[in-house]
Amino acid sequence: MSRHRYVRNIDVDEELEEDILSDGGDDLSPEDYELLMDRVDLVRATLGSEDQSGISDHEVKDTLLYYNYAVEQSVNWLLEEQARKNAAKERKAAKEREKAAKLAQSKATSPKIARPSAPKAAKKTAPSKSGSGTATPTRAVDQRQLDISALNLTAKEDAPVEEEPPKPTIALEKLLEEVRKEMDTQERSEKRSLSLVVIGHVDAGKSTLMGRLLYELGRVEEKKRMANERGSSKIGKSSFSWAWELDGTTEERERGITMDIALQSLSTPHREITILDAPGHKDFIPNMISGASQADSALLVVDSATGEFEAGFERGGQTREHLLLVRSLGVSQVIVAVNKLDQVQWEKSRYEEICSTLKPFLVQSGFQSSKTRFVPIGAMAGVNLSSRDSPESGALKQWYKGPTLVDLLDTLEPPSRDIMAPLRFPISNVFKEQGAGIGVAGRVCGGVVQVGERLRILPGDGTAVVKSISNDDHSLPWAADGSNVILYLTSVDPVHLSIGSVMCRPDNLIPLATAFTARIITFDIDIPVIAGASVELYHHSRDVPASISKLVSTLDRATGAVVKKNPRVLAKTTSAEVQITLRNTSMSGPSAQAPIIPLESFSNNKDMGRILIRRSGETIGAGVVLSLLS
Amino acid sequence: MKLVNKYVDKNGAGHVTLRPEDDEDMWHLYNLIQEGDSVRAPAIRRVQNVSATGSTESHRVRLNLTLAVTRVTWAPSTSASAGDLAQAAESSSTPQNSTAALHVTGRVTSENPHVKMGAFHTLDLEVNRDVRIEKADGWDSIALGRVQESCVPGRGAEVGAVVCGEGTAIFCLLSEHMTVILQRLEVPIPRKIATGSSAHEKGLSRFYSTLYSSFLRHIPYANPSLRAIVIASPGWVRDGVYDYIMSEASRTGNKALLGARNKFLKVHVNSPHVHSLVEVLQSPEIVSQLKETKFAREGIMLDKFHKMLGTDEMRAWYGPEHVILAADRGAVGTLLISDELFRSNDAALRKKFVSLVESVRERGGEVVIFSSMHESGQQLNQLSGVAAILTYPLDVEIVEAEEREAKEEEERKAAEENGKGQ
Ligand SMILES: Nc1nc2c(ncn2[C@@H]2O[C@H](COP(=O)(O)OP(=O)(O)OP(=O)(O)O)[C@@H](O)[C@H]2O)c(=O)[nH]1
Ligand SMILES: [Mg+2]
Repeated sequence: MSRHRYVRNIDVDEELEEDILSDGGDDLSPEDYELLMDRVDLVRATLGSEDQSGISDHEVKDTLLYYNYAVEQSVNWLLEEQARKNAAKERKAAKEREKAAKLAQSKATSPKIARPSAPKAAKKTAPSKSGSGTATPTRAVDQRQLDISALNLTAKEDAPVEEEPPKPTIALEKLLEEVRKEMDTQERSEKRSLSLVVIGHVDAGKSTLMGRLLYELGRVEEKKRMANERGSSKIGKSSFSWAWELDGTTEERERGITMDIALQSLSTPHREITILDAPGHKDFIPNMISGASQADSALLVVDSATGEFEAGFERGGQTREHLLLVRSLGVSQVIVAVNKLDQVQWEKSRYEEICSTLKPFLVQSGFQSSKTRFVPIGAMAGVNLSSRDSPESGALKQWYKGPTLVDLLDTLEPPSRDIMAPLRFPISNVFKEQGAGIGVAGRVCGGVVQVGERLRILPGDGTAVVKSISNDDHSLPWAADGSNVILYLTSVDPVHLSIGSVMCRPDNLIPLATAFTARIITFDIDIPVIAGASVELYHHSRDVPASISKLVSTLDRATGAVVKKNPRVLAKTTSAEVQITLRNTSMSGPSAQAPIIPLESFSNNKDMGRILIRRSGETIGAGVVLSLLS
Repeated sequence: MKLVNKYVDKNGAGHVTLRPEDDEDMWHLYNLIQEGDSVRAPAIRRVQNVSATGSTESHRVRLNLTLAVTRVTWAPSTSASAGDLAQAAESSSTPQNSTAALHVTGRVTSENPHVKMGAFHTLDLEVNRDVRIEKADGWDSIALGRVQESCVPGRGAEVGAVVCGEGTAIFCLLSEHMTVILQRLEVPIPRKIATGSSAHEKGLSRFYSTLYSSFLRHIPYANPSLRAIVIASPGWVRDGVYDYIMSEASRTGNKALLGARNKFLKVHVNSPHVHSLVEVLQSPEIVSQLKETKFAREGIMLDKFHKMLGTDEMRAWYGPEHVILAADRGAVGTLLISDELFRSNDAALRKKFVSLVESVRERGGEVVIFSSMHESGQQLNQLSGVAAILTYPLDVEIVEAEEREAKEEEERKAAEENGKGQ
């Protein structure tokens, strides 16, 4: 402390002069300083000069001070230090030689390379050469790699050779072949998989519906059902018995409110469906967004009870907000389940009233009417979920002859999968599991991931090896675009794993950004957006403080043509190009993590290029990334 | 801050001597001292003597130096390392209240036996050491206002705030002009997954206990100057946190903490990020208890500006050019302006903002100078540092067109005159 203060107070003029003094001998009395310089000479006598020994005066002084001027101890320590330095140098030199030899060899063994472009070709062969060495990385190999990468910190020039061995390209090609074949068979066998987020206003009956549906489809054992029934009635919440199948935490059960996404899977005659049961409560929209960004299609549940449907659909209600959110995140298919019709005596007119209120809004929000289906249900009693055979279905059967919920689920169209895209795996959950190690959950957003692969984790410089892949308790050799899976990892430092980070193949990393331009659409907002407005930016399972740093232009919603440059404000339902900058919210004190997130332009990767903007607990806009600024 | 001495004449010439007493005073000084000012404060120099025998001898001397300031740098205090928090739980060290640092660099302008005139020096301004400031351009109303404000006896209210999310907590201390972020706590809580929720619950209880020990370390709950302790969060985390703190307090017999029970306020906010502090300040709980404090007033004003933007966009203006145009027309009812604008090294620019403030005040308008050390001030800074609520609606585009016309008119006249002259 005193040293720093002292150094700061030095005159610029005198700094050079002072430097000599402060070099190891700071704060010494003149006598002590004399003694020190004396001893330095003695040490040098054994060690040799700086050039000969490779040990600087500074090191000598520090060592002497450490050993309280004892010459012998200092000399011993410094000799050891010298040996260490030499060994390190030798290792480096050896590697240099090895590298040169390898290079020469690769040149020699590739006669196909045209002479004129030799230097370029040599550069190219180097990484693939090192890559072809390791087949499936084992623990032992990893350890070595870790050591090597540690060395890289000091010897930068070694970086190209020591880089993570990319998976042999040949293997990836084979894998893609296999994946494509498998997908073809899936398509033919008509048992195709997709994921579905269940959305709607708080208390609409989403979890109850899912619990009951899972039961109807044989996914819940009788024993479990009875336990839920007993447990819920014990705390006076028996009406939530079905919801307990999904509302797993103590707090959710006590409050009778879903707080976070629950993941389940079910199977209909022609579909394997991953279910993401979202919370309806306004405060948990961040979690709902995380779920929606992992889904291809949506099931909207609305409460048909008098006044309840209206509460969810009015401004500020989540029926509205959720629909806009899922649409903005790329979901284009939606099934609307009109629930709790028992509360309105299964009146046909109420069902039709709700359908006709929702239809125009759905169209306005960008859902094609051909991709929107409606179904009347009673979640609690299980009416019209998989059948209308129960006695409770009597009233509905009178007027409804259409498909059941399961019939509709069975016809959901899985979106096309892009297995050729670079791998992106945004992490939505990190956890440790007894025996299985560290797991990360999420959805593959482009490409294919396979067991044994080493992946990079961004942001940061962490890597991990995929130990196993699992989906609904099945172990998989690989997972392709669109699959909701858990990756179990090894050789990973858990500090690198956080919700919102993205895993990629080391040879094709997702870019990082702190500022970018985006095309956005503002929602039905009361307060216009102005330049510099503080917002929260949502991207997959992450949300960060940001500001709309610049209003570039407002655009025509249909044509995208510029209407006005540098507008002063963005009013409601306006299409605009803006700049968004992540905020570093530190006024005083330790700053938050450097504001940087993995992001891609929408034109490069649709899944990674969508953003949502919220402010004061309200979604104010959605958009796509145009380009990253740096 | 103590006002030791003040001599300023009608024209603003003169000097003020201040004795800073804490971090916030350092922040005031940072806002007062500008490039070109003359600052006198104690310094320590190492002096070397060469003796007759040729050996050098050095010793330190304490002396007062006067500098013509060329640079002022401010480093806010950092009382705890960010981050992670398993360690934080283990280390039971007392908070080291490292203080904010303020360095003033410049050429020495006073005659001195040890230091040459014109030599460069950097002063580390310290608490309890007098600083004499003489302004290059004289003391204007903003600078004098700042001196007055900083020397009001007795510190304003302090509020401790913990902004929580599931697994995150940010500990802050708010005083009149500053928000200090004491710690950012992050305890990873696995999100619930289909199979069982024990990991989630284990994480949650680890979060609570880590949060509790950080709370004890950072929030001076027993200090009488601490008016309120806010626990803010979306969802119900704040209830869980509050209940845990109180149950631990009674389990461990922490009388001081139990005694502070009525200082606690639970506030709902929409996000667990620091910027939710503005929501805290706008919440009815805070407004009713602390509305006279500077930070609450800033929060309320910013909210009013946003609301006006929603109800009548033509009465909510922002950006220096536009706001000055509105002030020229006498339309500014409330001016929101950040202290950052007065720290400009461009004297002309600073003058422009000083006269903006003065003209609004002259017409009976209200002026709120925001502190950049509060979240509200940071948000205002992003909006260019200045915004105004107008007393009547004005269309920016019409005003701009008028300005253009007036300018063209002037140019035309000038050209005509030139023509006549020829
Ligand atoms: N009468 C009747 N009540 C139902 C029906 N379906 C659900 N409920 C009730 O509605 C309440 C809310 O059910 P949940 O399943 O928790 O609703 P949710 O949409 O999952 O709620 P959040 O997840 O918290 O948004 C519970 O009390 C259910 O018993 C139904 O078909 N009829
Ligand atoms: Mg639910």
